[in-house]
Amino acid sequence: MAFGLELIILIVLGLVALVIVFYVISVFNGLVRLKNNIKKSLSNIEVLLKQRVDELPKLIESVKGYMKHERGTLTELTKARTEFMNAKTLPEKAKADGIISGALKTIFAVAENYPNLKANENFIQLQTRISGIENELADRREFYNDSVNTYNIRIQSIPDRFVAGMLGYTPEELFKATEAEKRDVEVKF
Amino acid sequence: MALEGDVFFYALAGLVAGLVLFILGLKWFRQKQLMDNTPTSKVRSLAMGLVEIYGEVVAAKGRLLKSPFTDNDCVYYRYTIEEQRKGKGGGMSGIPGSVVMGENPGSFATGGSWAVVRKGEERTQFFLKDETALVLVDPDGAKVDIPKDAEYSSGFGRDPPVQVTNFLKSQGVSHESFFGLNKTMRYREFFIAPKDKLYIMGTAGDNPFVDELTAKNSVDDVMIQKGKNDRFYYISDKQEKDIVSGLRWKSLGGICGGIALVAIGLFVIFFQTGML
Repeated sequence: MAFGLELIILIVLGLVALVIVFYVISVFNGLVRLKNNIKKSLSNIEVLLKQRVDELPKLIESVKGYMKHERGTLTELTKARTEFMNAKTLPEKAKADGIISGALKTIFAVAENYPNLKANENFIQLQTRISGIENELADRREFYNDSVNTYNIRIQSIPDRFVAGMLGYTPEELFKATEAEKRDVEVKF
Repeated sequence: MALEGDVFFYALAGLVAGLVLFILGLKWFRQKQLMDNTPTSKVRSLAMGLVEIYGEVVAAKGRLLKSPFTDNDCVYYRYTIEEQRKGKGGGMSGIPGSVVMGENPGSFATGGSWAVVRKGEERTQFFLKDETALVLVDPDGAKVDIPKDAEYSSGFGRDPPVQVTNFLKSQGVSHESFFGLNKTMRYREFFIAPKDKLYIMGTAGDNPFVDELTAKNSVDDVMIQKGKNDRFYYISDKQEKDIVSGLRWKSLGGICGGIALVAIGLFVIFFQTGML
């Protein structure tokens, strides 16, 4: 009689233990997935950054004949492109990316002053393409920040923080707009 | 003795149901975690792989379906035609509302239940549009979680609506019994119509209908589908927070209810077999 009751208790405790094990595994796998999501979303941003950088020589080539007074901006853009190509770390890439974004905003705003440039088919195509990439970049930065935010909340919440501690996971940094990106575009008339 | 046999059978059924419920609870928990951990993507910047999107249904040109009972334009529908059957307990009058309806319409409860006479489903590709762009969705293989949009019934002195009758005829199903009297039947319809808001978790993969080189925007070459690696594919017209909340309670109920059923089932079985 006692054996039967003990067996039931043992089976129920076994199921409860199974739930606990499953939960811990699920937390572990969830954190690993989140960490990899962040890496993946960062790589996805880099793919677009590379695409945008690849378009820059064509853009510079198409505008340099028109924008004689904007040589400074074009030089800045060329320099930032080289910096991006040589960048090894994320902060280096982010810095160069910020300068490129700022310079592009200036070029597209200043282009309004050059009717011949504005009517140039090649320039219109490039502007559309680069603006499209810029929009996609903005979305992917937002997605990256969502991924980081979810991850940061999880690794600081109980009980996930214990598993995160065992894995040595620390909070990740959000993607912030650089000073160059935040700067208002100055258009000289 | 027969009663004891019944109790033993129910206990055994409870034990098996408990284990199934327990496993389902764990599965629902995993799905909830997956949704919690995946941020919603903007359609314009979808990256390949498992994604979560939310937007409005836009029908693809020439790919609209018609729902069978209400004749609505839609991109997905499913229907069930059910007939009320007396259970082995008998004694049911056949009047809807007076019977014990099983959760699973195909099951036969002892007090009478609904049996599925015919069911069907059709789905077609459609676009999902958010504030940034639209993407093609192939719903094949997805679990479509939507509430019923229409329900009709027929019974003694009550014919089904004309549209339903026509559909029954096309399917070779009769709502009349051998003596020409109406059988007690119910007809349920579920559909996804253009402009419906949908939550989709699926795999963003290559769009086989578009050539990558001719795609105007990068998302044009993407199609949401059932993935080869990420097998989870889910479509619902609920908001994400409601889906996650539902899964949370379902998983909790499944796990706790499953354990409770197993414990009770074991207790009764052991008691019946004299082990207690």
